[in-house]
Amino acid sequence: MDITSLFTQFLSGLTYGTILFLVAAGLSLIFGVMNILNFAHAALWLMGAYFSYTFWNLMQEHSFAFWLSIPLAGFAAAAVGWLMEVVLIKRIYKRELYEQLLITYSVALILSDTIKLTWGVTNKLIVRPEMLRKPVFIFGAPLDSYFIFVILAGAAVAIGLWWFLKYTRYGHIVKAAVYSREMVGALGIPIPQIDTWVFTLGIFLAGFAGGIQAPIGSITLGMDTAIIIQAFCVVVIGGFGSLMGTLVGSLIVGEVLSFTILFWPEGAMVLIFVITAAILIVRPWGLFGTPMRT
Amino acid sequence: MNDTDPTILKISGLSKSFGKYAVLTDVNYSLQKAEIAAIIGPNGAGKTTFFNLITGYHNADSGTVLFQGRAITDWPRHRIARAGISRAFQVSNIYPRLTTYENVRQAILAQKKRTLDIFTPASGLARESTLELLELTGLLPNRDTVAGILSQGDKKKLELALALAGKPEMLLLDEPTAGMSSEETHETMELVKRLNAQIGLTILFTEHDISVIFGYARKLSVLYQGILIAEGTPEEVRRNEEAQRCYLGEDI
Amino acid sequence: MKNKYFFATILFMLAVVLPFIVPVFWVHVLTEILILGLFAASFNMIFGYMGQLTFGHAAYYGIGAYTTGLLMVKANVPMLATLPLSMLSAGLCAALLGYFCVKLRGIYFAILTMAFGQLVYYIIFQWYSFTGGDNGLQGIVPPEFLGKAANPYYFFTLIVVTIGMIALWIISESPFGYTMRAIRDNAERTEFIGINVQRYMLLNFIIAAMFAGLAGALWGPFNRSVAPDLTNWMHSGIPVFMTVMGGPFSFLGPLVGSAIYTFLMATVTSFTEYWPLVSGVIIILVVLLMPGGFLGLIDEKFPFLMRRGNGTGKTDGQGRQER
Repeated sequence: MDITSLFTQFLSGLTYGTILFLVAAGLSLIFGVMNILNFAHAALWLMGAYFSYTFWNLMQEHSFAFWLSIPLAGFAAAAVGWLMEVVLIKRIYKRELYEQLLITYSVALILSDTIKLTWGVTNKLIVRPEMLRKPVFIFGAPLDSYFIFVILAGAAVAIGLWWFLKYTRYGHIVKAAVYSREMVGALGIPIPQIDTWVFTLGIFLAGFAGGIQAPIGSITLGMDTAIIIQAFCVVVIGGFGSLMGTLVGSLIVGEVLSFTILFWPEGAMVLIFVITAAILIVRPWGLFGTPMRT
Repeated sequence: MNDTDPTILKISGLSKSFGKYAVLTDVNYSLQKAEIAAIIGPNGAGKTTFFNLITGYHNADSGTVLFQGRAITDWPRHRIARAGISRAFQVSNIYPRLTTYENVRQAILAQKKRTLDIFTPASGLARESTLELLELTGLLPNRDTVAGILSQGDKKKLELALALAGKPEMLLLDEPTAGMSSEETHETMELVKRLNAQIGLTILFTEHDISVIFGYARKLSVLYQGILIAEGTPEEVRRNEEAQRCYLGEDI
Repeated sequence: MKNKYFFATILFMLAVVLPFIVPVFWVHVLTEILILGLFAASFNMIFGYMGQLTFGHAAYYGIGAYTTGLLMVKANVPMLATLPLSMLSAGLCAALLGYFCVKLRGIYFAILTMAFGQLVYYIIFQWYSFTGGDNGLQGIVPPEFLGKAANPYYFFTLIVVTIGMIALWIISESPFGYTMRAIRDNAERTEFIGINVQRYMLLNFIIAAMFAGLAGALWGPFNRSVAPDLTNWMHSGIPVFMTVMGGPFSFLGPLVGSAIYTFLMATVTSFTEYWPLVSGVIIILVVLLMPGGFLGLIDEKFPFLMRRGNGTGKTDGQGRQER
């Protein structure tokens, strides 16, 4: 095993970690602010990928189609997420944990079948523009040139979210809501509106991640069941409601998967669950979370 | 230890802080068997934390708690309860979805170490002692009421019943009469006093009601900002200037 | 108290008579209802009685199924002997994993049980040489006396499930069962009456896993095969659905839920492949419109059919159930 192939493996882990980060960031934000664990998150991610395919397909003759379809996928998924929040999630904030889980789980089932009904069972493939078809070499390690874009886009979103949370008024409100909803409510800020926008933002991120994922390989049904569990692991490892935690958690999961597949392919997921379980047992609030609500 | 030692509880150097905030500082306290004692002090003085440290709800930062000569400082809650310290909480802490009867029976079965039994129907067990305790605490008319919908005063009685079910050597009561009518207050404190007289139950309570404090406690300790500032008979504390300044004020 | 066993007796009599009336297809469905009903009832020992949501209960169901399958296929152990061994292996795994789970509560309990469930799933999925990996195990044939027809295996299942349900009923009505309700209602108070809450939760976790293992053990020979999917988180959702549909606040709720869910699935899948969509809509409607489940609804409309005040009552103190 030489340095170059290790580096290649590292970069592919980084790419997958980026996708996971985009999915898990919304999941973590939604849980942090409203205490809802969204089982449907990955279904919306997959929907984003299909939306992106549709947009790309409609605009194929234009050169910008490939690039534009990615943010459009985010907005389309966000619209579905907004609807889900307003119609369903609003009704269950004060319900028991199991009722909340069952509702989002059911939405996941419904969305998966809706995807099947809308886009059919055949795999979808987005053809990349010329410039993204050849690998690039970094320190002699070949890397799919699209991966560079994925990593850069992920970094941009991470910085954007960080800036939003740190420097904007709404970011401060969101951070305060993670800490204590009651306090934010007591300050006269309308919690229901914050919930709606946080949820929609979270789903936008998922849809955007789906759009970014789409050109990596072909889009297939059932892709979401693997990633939802991995995203849960990321959020548990990093800590619910912590952006930094989600970033670190995603990179851990991405790299662990990438490297164990090299040495011990059967054990990759087993190792992820061992790490997740260990974190839950030792620090249930995760590496970067704060121990508060249960 | 020898059985003639009259000290049931001996606390030395007990301290606890939450973050930077020191809730209790170097508290030394001892209690004789069969005493009725009260801890008084303004809100936030550390009374509930004091109880929490004795019963294992929190772990102390430093100091020791000796109960009947045994160091129980770091014991888990259930073991402290088994050792003979029962506790009634300030905010009633009951089983809201069980009936009053089932609440009390649960605590009695725990005391009798029957809770690992998976074969015998619980409905037939501990009938007499459950009814007896319900009668004693005045809860018999509400025996089949789901505890969650009991009145505030009845919840406090149930709270007391759950504590008594453990057949304790020492009973800690955190504001036992808060939320009770004056009649219920009187009944409850008379019951406590009677138990003390009849079976020599040691009682340590906190209370805001001055008439309850001076009517029932034989020993008073004043806690102020986490420090024990005065101790003695009610008369002595009444005359203690520091205690007056810190807490009793013009009430006396 | 006269009506205490009324509902259970009716259900049992129905279960005895139905296979003689309905076509073979529905006898298979009935068998499935019983097996999954026991699975869901064991889940409800943790959920309804102990107050914790496990999203990894299928792991123990699957471990039971694989224990029976492996013993029958690889070691020729008679099926009857594998049933207690399945309970044992599920119980042992639960003792190991549950030790960590009972340290947590609420959402963390749910996620850790799910993580452990997935751990079991991936181990079974990847361990080709032992478990057959994603191919599963084939050729788990029930013994001769249960024949090839549907009815004998159905009645065998009925006997085992009835015994299992009675055992669970006895446990739930015992002092231990009431201690579970006490922990569900107020774990903190339970410590202060002198009970080692974590140890009791672990014991209950093990008991629940053993009966899930028994249900799984019945599944293998019924289906003639086992597959790793039996253990994954999607399968762990099934007892949750069933229990919520039937009613988590009554002992027979999970079994009734299993009947409704399995019946609907058998009906719906016969004319559409979109069962997930249909079931998703149904579950949302149940959660939003009848939070007490089917038996909760019956209890409300026909209170004389149900026993009241058995400690699984509908008020949870904050009045949240009383919508």
